[in-house]
Amino acid sequence: MKHFNFKNLFTAITLVAALSACKKDRIVEPIDIPAERAGVYILNQGNINANNSTLTYFNYATQSSTSDIFSAVNGTKLGDTGNDIKIYGSKMYIVVNVSSTIEVVDPKTTKSIKRISMLNGTAARQPRYIVFNKNKAFISSYDGTVAVLDTASLAIEKYITVGRNPEQMVISNNKLYVANSGGLDFGNPDKTVSVINLSTLTETKKVEVVANPTSIGADSYGHVYVLSNGDYKSIAAGLTIINNATDAVTLTSADLAGGYGSSIVNNGDYIYYISASNGILVYNTKTQKVEKENFITDNTAITSPFNIAYDDINQQLFVMDAKNYATNGQLFAFGKDGKLVKGYPITTGITPGAVVFVNK
Amino acid sequence: MAQTDTTSRKLNEVTIIATSRLNNKTITSAQQINSTDFIKLNALNVADAVRNFAGVNVKDYGGIGGLKTISVRSLGSTHTAVLLDGVQINDAQNGQIDLSKFVLTNVSQVALFNGQPDDLLQPARAFAAGSVLSVKSIVPNLSIIKPYHVLAGVKGGSFGLVNPYFQWQQRLNASWSLVANANYTYANGRYKYKVEGDGSDTLAVRRNGDVKALQADAAVYWHKSDSSDLTVRFNYYNSKRGLPGAVIFYNPYTTERLENEDAFVQAKYSRTFKNSLRILLSSKVSQLKTRYLDPQFLNTQGYLDQHYRQREAYQSAAIAYQLLPGWEVSYAVDASYIKMDADIYNYAYPGRFTLLNVLASKLTKGNWMLQGNLLQTNIGERVKQGKPMASQSILKPTLMASFKPFDHTGLLIRAFYKDIFRAPTLDELYFYAILPRTIKPEDVKQYNLGATYQVKTDNLLQDIELTSDAYYNHVANKILAIPNKNPAIYSFSNIGKVDIKGIDVTLKIQTHQISNWSLSAAASYTFQKAIDVSDESSSTYLQQIPYTPKHTLALNAGVNCKAFSIYVNHLLSSHRYYTGNNLPEYLVPGYGVTDASAIYHFKAGAMPAQLSVEANNLSNKNYSIIRSYPMPGRSYRLSFQITI
Repeated sequence: MKHFNFKNLFTAITLVAALSACKKDRIVEPIDIPAERAGVYILNQGNINANNSTLTYFNYATQSSTSDIFSAVNGTKLGDTGNDIKIYGSKMYIVVNVSSTIEVVDPKTTKSIKRISMLNGTAARQPRYIVFNKNKAFISSYDGTVAVLDTASLAIEKYITVGRNPEQMVISNNKLYVANSGGLDFGNPDKTVSVINLSTLTETKKVEVVANPTSIGADSYGHVYVLSNGDYKSIAAGLTIINNATDAVTLTSADLAGGYGSSIVNNGDYIYYISASNGILVYNTKTQKVEKENFITDNTAITSPFNIAYDDINQQLFVMDAKNYATNGQLFAFGKDGKLVKGYPITTGITPGAVVFVNK
Repeated sequence: MAQTDTTSRKLNEVTIIATSRLNNKTITSAQQINSTDFIKLNALNVADAVRNFAGVNVKDYGGIGGLKTISVRSLGSTHTAVLLDGVQINDAQNGQIDLSKFVLTNVSQVALFNGQPDDLLQPARAFAAGSVLSVKSIVPNLSIIKPYHVLAGVKGGSFGLVNPYFQWQQRLNASWSLVANANYTYANGRYKYKVEGDGSDTLAVRRNGDVKALQADAAVYWHKSDSSDLTVRFNYYNSKRGLPGAVIFYNPYTTERLENEDAFVQAKYSRTFKNSLRILLSSKVSQLKTRYLDPQFLNTQGYLDQHYRQREAYQSAAIAYQLLPGWEVSYAVDASYIKMDADIYNYAYPGRFTLLNVLASKLTKGNWMLQGNLLQTNIGERVKQGKPMASQSILKPTLMASFKPFDHTGLLIRAFYKDIFRAPTLDELYFYAILPRTIKPEDVKQYNLGATYQVKTDNLLQDIELTSDAYYNHVANKILAIPNKNPAIYSFSNIGKVDIKGIDVTLKIQTHQISNWSLSAAASYTFQKAIDVSDESSSTYLQQIPYTPKHTLALNAGVNCKAFSIYVNHLLSSHRYYTGNNLPEYLVPGYGVTDASAIYHFKAGAMPAQLSVEANNLSNKNYSIIRSYPMPGRSYRLSFQITI
């Protein structure tokens, strides 16, 4: 009697498979559902030259996330190293660095509206970041330019030449400040911030800052904050503060150095950025003093804080954890009290580098 | 920012003739392919040949010029030492050898030893790796009646391949002879492939994959009264190639170039004395030069032009002596000095001195064989700037045993335990080491238990060989990349642990000739469960490590009738994941690829000649071994060779 019951075995296997399938994508504890927000898009960089950048969407209502929603909706993939994502008007813009494209997307449906190529002949411009002003988008690219894109026609109207390998940009006092890193010149980085007149769309001056600037942000008290990386050898990393009226440097500090590429987020009288010691530094923009070494108060462990974002409607600080940069990361949210919001972290794709919040 | 992983390629080449058949009933598991079998495997280079071995995972980036490295039993390419005629082809910069650079026209035998070869008289380096890939050159076998042997051939076909080669063997007198080879490869490297995911519905063409490579070598052999041998060999390799890179959606233009120029001289002297004393002296000096050019790099110059140079001086002395009948002991000492230069930012210009001592013993008693050795390693480094690796002094043992349970059957039981390590490579330590790196050697413990069975009959099945080995490897202090928010501060550290359990099975069958017809068949199967056991809190804990298929099967079959032979190969791999998360989105699909070849031997006048046609990927399957590096579809190769 050696009859093995395949039918029972098959049923058992199917059941186990079905049960484990059900568990996917749902988080165990419910997340506090914010009033106006529909969800959050997480742009996962993937790895450079791995062609695996993805977009994860976390839906607040269903409390479930969809990995790689961009290809699920469009049938095409983002490409290599999505570096920045922002919503302006009714459109969402995704800057894809190595693929050298700007994907223009409907944030409500994730449907691609247009893919703008940033190739210059056969050479990739390598776009990095995008900011907006009066129906124009400004896109910094490693080839030393800031492209001016009309957000209605989606045509690039002009390339403004700036410094070497420009990175983040900020608009303050009706001027565009561009951090020129020169990061691709090892040992000889750039050390300037280009100031662009938003009326004439020309560079009016270059402000000297700590070498190799990548991050830039502004507050409501007339300060422009620039985080630089130095040359990793003799020049230390540091923070430079520029007065947006005179464009004079008012402070240079190595002690206030930040983590590479961190967003500098303004929230009322504070700016936040990832500090050199991987905390979320809280800096008082009014008193110009460090308020707290770390926004997080509940000792939540974040392996590799890669970037931050602030949702001012729900007053939550989001921290992207890249883990080991080769496997799935996580997205954490912290309330005003610096404590982890119930239900977080949520799983992201590889190297989550930017998030954008979508309204209902 | 954006530093380039340019460094993983360089190498040399080798020369050829027919050699002896390796005894499969070795104390450690060993697999080999002889020169007559290369054509059966559609093999153009060593990488094509070794992919048929059990326990082997060839990482193939696709195309004629694509990097091809070997990982044996999931340990990674840095744990396999590649020996040319017993002397290591060493690359201290990145620790791995690109096997696509070894053309086979001057090779007599390729053999893979798990653990190490079981000969006691070897350089210490042969004891100092997780596994050994031994490549043997063709040795002249000439007589006074025919004091020369000239071989000329040309291969050509898909990818714009033109590959002429030439070999000249000459007997000089009773003691001296020489062999010289030249092999030139040109290919435009183009092939069509299907891009999935960018919305295109036509086939794309793989570009910037062109190769020009020249390999030349010459060796003189001196042989005296069956007891003394001397070989002095000079090898030169020069190549220029495009790097087609990963497929990047919406940005198909790649312009990066790689140039290699490698040269070495190696000498080997061996002598067996009447009292059973054997000595072996090996020397080598080598220089490996690499140039990496990115003509579109977005720095001030508008290009990136990097030069790397490794120079090495190496000396080994080994002695073996039979103390009692059935008991032989040996001692080997190897010293080497490597100097590395690179014109990259903040480079350390390291110099590494290595001294290896090996004491080994082999005891044969009745049906038992016991072998063991102790390897003592000393490594010291100096740098011009930054911090050198701390000096290392490490002692590691290996134990091997085999047992023949029955006198009259071909069954052999074998087992080995090998505790070994690899030093961090110079790239892991110093390539864009913006912050000082503290890296310890990577440790591997290997346990193997297996059996071999061989039957020779007078029946139709003339020869059956079956081997099966089960193994467990534990990797500790695995050296892994530690990326940073800032790509410029990329680092390496000992943070990984891997548990590897596997089974290798090989089967070979050869039939008798029946009215001019004979059949041969071989199969290699590999099962590997290689899981990450580094960190319980990580999402990759207990998941299969990247690019490691659970099942791999290589099937080869051939039929021979008089001067005509046909061979078919099928290689099957189950799916892999390209990250440590075994999720569907990171899956690289499995594949099955079939190759076939036909060979015809004939006489051109009085001269033996051979014509062959090979077809690779017969079913034109769209697949990749490394994600984003598509493999070619169906391709053809035509070869003609004549012997004078």
